[in-house]
Amino acid sequence: MSKVEKVDITKTTHIEHTADGVIMVTNLDLAVNWARKNSLWYLLFATACCGIELMQTGGPRADLDRFGVVFRNSPRQSDFIIVAGTITYKMAERVRRLYDQLADPKYVLSMGSCSNTGGLFQHSYSVLKGVDKIVPVDVYVAGCPPRPEALTHAILKLREKVGREPYFKNYVGTRFFKFMRWIKNDN
Amino acid sequence: MITKEIFEKLKEKFGDDIIRLDESVKDPFVVVNPQKWLEIAKYLHDDPDLYFDFLMSIAGVDYPDENLIRVVYHLWSYKHRHMLVVKVELNRENPVVDSIDSIWANANWLERETYDLFGVVFKGSRNLKRLLMPEDWEGHPMRKDYEEPKEYHGISTERENPVYLFHLVKPPEEE
Amino acid sequence: MALKDVLILVVKISIVIGGMLGVVAYLTLMERKVVAYIQERLGPNRVGPWGLLQPIADGIKLFFKEDVIPAHVDKLLYIIAPAITMTMAVMPFVIIPFSKSFFLSDINVGILLLLAISGINTYGVLLAGISSNSKYSMIGGLRVASQLISYEVALSLAFVGVVLWNGSMSLVKITEAQHVVWNIIPQFIGFIVFFIAALAELNRIPFDLPEAEAELVAGYHTEYSSMKFALFYLGEYANLTAMSAIITTLYLGGWQGPWLPGFVWFAIKTFVVLFVFMWIRWTYPRFRFDQLISVGWKVLIPLALLNIALTAILRIYI
Repeated sequence: MSKVEKVDITKTTHIEHTADGVIMVTNLDLAVNWARKNSLWYLLFATACCGIELMQTGGPRADLDRFGVVFRNSPRQSDFIIVAGTITYKMAERVRRLYDQLADPKYVLSMGSCSNTGGLFQHSYSVLKGVDKIVPVDVYVAGCPPRPEALTHAILKLREKVGREPYFKNYVGTRFFKFMRWIKNDN
Repeated sequence: MITKEIFEKLKEKFGDDIIRLDESVKDPFVVVNPQKWLEIAKYLHDDPDLYFDFLMSIAGVDYPDENLIRVVYHLWSYKHRHMLVVKVELNRENPVVDSIDSIWANANWLERETYDLFGVVFKGSRNLKRLLMPEDWEGHPMRKDYEEPKEYHGISTERENPVYLFHLVKPPEEE
Repeated sequence: MALKDVLILVVKISIVIGGMLGVVAYLTLMERKVVAYIQERLGPNRVGPWGLLQPIADGIKLFFKEDVIPAHVDKLLYIIAPAITMTMAVMPFVIIPFSKSFFLSDINVGILLLLAISGINTYGVLLAGISSNSKYSMIGGLRVASQLISYEVALSLAFVGVVLWNGSMSLVKITEAQHVVWNIIPQFIGFIVFFIAALAELNRIPFDLPEAEAELVAGYHTEYSSMKFALFYLGEYANLTAMSAIITTLYLGGWQGPWLPGFVWFAIKTFVVLFVFMWIRWTYPRFRFDQLISVGWKVLIPLALLNIALTAILRIYI
């Protein structure tokens, strides 16, 4: 996995060079990222015992709702997927499909040893050796299963990551260039 | 009735098709002829003295040394509160046995599981396809000579031991 | 109509719509807080004081999400469905009297208009389900159709009781007629029927089968993302507010009450009803679909008919 590119979005106005051209970025990123990191909705995807800890994290003691983190049932409405539990090869294709159905910008949080590496079951013929074989993972949580505190910490880390991401460069700028190319080719 | 009595009753009815009784293990079992198994099962289910109305499980066991796959059936009678373990011995190259899902309906999923993991073909089954593994999976993974494929649908099935990622310990050299 | 009247009307409409949207946005926060306290949690409290900026963060985030339009949908219907839901959810406020003098219009067939609006409202959800062209949305949409048709009957019959008792279809006149005793007392059976049917109309627990998450992913809005989903989400709460306002107007005496100004009384009563809706949602489990339909047809409709008969008899002898 490549290292996360750190961009200082707090600089007022700066210029980003991309393959297609130059984007000038103002710090509107800050405002948008504030909203995005305070409203991270996760897709319920629990396949094993980690799912129980995941539910527990939503419960009274760890209470994810404090940070505005709530679950959605449909991938189209979620911001990130918590892969909680053992993934078999049969399920792996479904995970990939759910990941593709998530609306951009999307993140993956791999929860527990099984989802990180295959864990306890990695010598089994049917178990996927780590969910990063099929989707790019943003945050790994170690543990078997991780305690709710660990998951909460992971989500705080994900919030940090979301908070410093250059949103307009990654999602608006590239799309703008794509749109311009499409117009040029059309006419 | 205990297994010995059931065995004698069956022996009386079916003769040589009831091959042997083994009482040396905790759960004594009866080995029967696979060709006649459907008939025997029907008798076990219908006879008022036996009345096995519940099929507890079907399991397969692989014996590569004897070139055998044994399919184990656990039967239970709620009425008489007695249990019977029946085994059929099948050739490992071509394991075929009659399906009993016409007698106990829950046999269907158990047979599908046994088919999936051991490759035992249940003749006359209502719906014999893989239950647990993906439908395009190759091989039957619970057989002892099964080898894991290198990849499935482009997903690699190998992973480096995470311990070696930190270069603190060296991986053992391959021979 | 003079220009001045038009201007006044425009200002009034802006106040109502703007206020509505604000209330609806903060209802999402209220719901989250209510469920949090019911489940002994704290609810959103990191985004602004007491989580007060949470709805704003949610809104901005949803606005900047990718707007997925799957390739397999019927595009036109897919796009207009959330618009129908949202528009029709705000529509009932046209005729609801907020205080003695503040209402947008007083039409003499107000109750019929309410029924028409709730009829069209069904289309938003139904079209969303069918145009999404996915099996979960489809089942959700069909469930909406059968559920709303069943409960619309009970709802309209409960309306008839109120109309008979107060002798008018105008919501302003109905409110004024309650200055001695609120309709909830003479129309108690009707109120119960109306309340249960309203729960079903709003697709809320215990009747939230169209979006039963255990069975149908997210029901009719499974395929919707970004702002289109936000419209459904807000539409749901707008419907909730509208239904609470209707219950307040029809059964709880509308803006009437001692000491405080009418508008305040109206707001208090509406929020009490809203709270009861939320309370029910986080306390009860879901009905099975056959139970839902049989409650609608075998219990609520006979009760509503009984209520009409009783009201008619009372009306003659009192």
